[in-house]
Amino acid sequence: MLLKLLFAKNEDIPVGSATIFFGYSSIFWFVVGTGLGSFNAAKLAFPDWVTGTELFAFGHMRQVHVLAVILGWISMAFAMTMMYMTPSLGNTKLWSEKLGLWNVFLWNIGLSLGLLLLWMGITSGREYSDLIWPIDLVVIFGVLLPLGINVWMTIAHRKTQGIYITNWFFGSMIFLTIITVTIGQSPELFNLTGLTEAYLTFWHAHNLLGLWITPVAAAIAYYTIPKITGNPLYSHRIGHLHFWSIIAFYSTPASHHLMSAPLPEWLKSFASVEGVLILIPAVAFIANILLTMKGKWSLFVENVEIKFSVTGVLLAIPLNMQGGFQQTRAINWYVHGTGWIVAHAHLALLGMSTFLEIAAVYFGLQAMLRRKLYSLALANLHYWFVIVGFCIYWISMTIAGLIQGAGKIYEVPYIDVVIAEHPYMIARWIGGTMVFTGNTIWLYNMWMTAREGTIIPDGRYAHEMAYER
Amino acid sequence: MGWKFDQPLYCLSDDKEQKEMIEHWEKEKHGGLSEGNNRLPMPLVLIMALIILTAFMITMPIWGQRPTADNFKEFVANMNSPEVQQIADPEKKIEYLYNLVYSGADSRLQGALERHPITWDDLLNIAPGIREIQNGGLYPLSWYNVIGDRIVLANFEGNYVEIGGKLVRERLQPWWDKGYTIDVFYVTYFIITMIIVIKQLPHFTRKPDIGRI
Repeated sequence: MLLKLLFAKNEDIPVGSATIFFGYSSIFWFVVGTGLGSFNAAKLAFPDWVTGTELFAFGHMRQVHVLAVILGWISMAFAMTMMYMTPSLGNTKLWSEKLGLWNVFLWNIGLSLGLLLLWMGITSGREYSDLIWPIDLVVIFGVLLPLGINVWMTIAHRKTQGIYITNWFFGSMIFLTIITVTIGQSPELFNLTGLTEAYLTFWHAHNLLGLWITPVAAAIAYYTIPKITGNPLYSHRIGHLHFWSIIAFYSTPASHHLMSAPLPEWLKSFASVEGVLILIPAVAFIANILLTMKGKWSLFVENVEIKFSVTGVLLAIPLNMQGGFQQTRAINWYVHGTGWIVAHAHLALLGMSTFLEIAAVYFGLQAMLRRKLYSLALANLHYWFVIVGFCIYWISMTIAGLIQGAGKIYEVPYIDVVIAEHPYMIARWIGGTMVFTGNTIWLYNMWMTAREGTIIPDGRYAHEMAYER
Repeated sequence: MGWKFDQPLYCLSDDKEQKEMIEHWEKEKHGGLSEGNNRLPMPLVLIMALIILTAFMITMPIWGQRPTADNFKEFVANMNSPEVQQIADPEKKIEYLYNLVYSGADSRLQGALERHPITWDDLLNIAPGIREIQNGGLYPLSWYNVIGDRIVLANFEGNYVEIGGKLVRERLQPWWDKGYTIDVFYVTYFIITMIIVIKQLPHFTRKPDIGRI
């Protein structure tokens, strides 16, 4: 069906096609990504699990998991939300459904190829920019640029005078991410080595987190919470503070990832102050969203999209508290290079960002398919599997990280640290597997929604009919 | 854009423009969504001020000062004194030296020694390196860091100073550096810009009539 639509005239492509293909692709990659995560966690918990085959070695599998989740799940879920939120917020249609479909097609092809190469061990060897440069070109020209063109042109052709805050973030963050990804590959393209390579690698990694994965998720919440609660966004002016403080304080502190490296001390001092100041946009965002919930807190229990969204917003509190302080010299000395950082990264990607995206994918797919969710019970089961699984993962890895930190500082023999961590590695595997299980339930639920979900009559929304039989 | 400067902390746009913005917010719906004009609650404004203060206080370069060879020169100078030789227990030896050094040390050195304590065995390991630098090192002892049992030239790059007829960069760890200075200006400019951006909007007491919040 996708192939047929790819060559159809733009006018003949049903509205919402790009959203639907992006939505289902994102859920598919989420299942793949978390499945790989569960497999990898099993290797750390049970060292004898699948040995003797190079392809299944942890070193081959880890980055496949990371990039399947970032480029497959998170970024495709972003694209999915952009395909329906951007036109909706401009009271218009998506600029080109056809470009959106080509985008999702090239994205899936490029990502599959990139992950296959990573799995085979063909990698640039740099964390978060592991893909080799030809695949990076696919990411820039087949993934990000077409997405950007579609979003920018939709905003340009809007039928409103103003631009809603969600679209500020969408438009600008795609632009900044294209720059981030392009410059982030320069060590490979220009054979830069040593400290320059390390700095550019983490400049890329930091900005991918700070200018893509977290702010776009926040932008999504600015849509889903007012849309489902029916409340106006609490404050336009706090939105300004959030947006501009992200630009000012999140684009600058990349070197706080390398506090122990021999970078110039003044650069680390500068980055470290900026690192704490990420709490400014965090407070602005969390306050704006939670105050928008005023009078509608019952939806936190009753409505599955609000349940996911508010959980994501609440997870932004520990995320930013950790992120702000763990990069300071005094704390980084202790937690750097430990499982604490792994826990923190999952709090950002699997916690705050993922929960906000899941809500938007639930809402968007129902809205575009014009079908009510197949099973609210399965959706709630999905929520509890993901939140409990995530918490087990996060807490166990945080404890493991503190043990590793103590072991590092007090020069405890490495093997003793490994033994002390073992129970937490098993807990990590259990938590990750719960998330994977929840996602397979979600894929089934959404598949059945497309096939058998109750058709939503015109003028109504799916969430309004959630409890109607 | 109409500007008005009589009450800069109230609103920077004129009445006509404020009225237009309010009407615009009331009339325009973005996919059914609308926006309020509420202020950030005062406790959160205070939290933001606290965040900015904390950001500067907690990241001050002085907190990450590394141990320099200079911190331990008095230990090395006195470790072979008759008083120390008479003490048999290594723990008592180092305790004696600490008391001796503390009595004449300024608060900066006392703080540095508290953060980087050494044992008698550590002193035995680092003493030869410190003596070597004292007897023929190119640079002052304070330019050398103690890393484990090694004494190495620090990698800081400060102002140019003349040593032995050559201009070289000072290797002292700064307690305040230019990154910090940049931050002072950067954050100040951000606050000023945000005040202008937000005060250009209608004052928060002027609320669009959009319903429930």
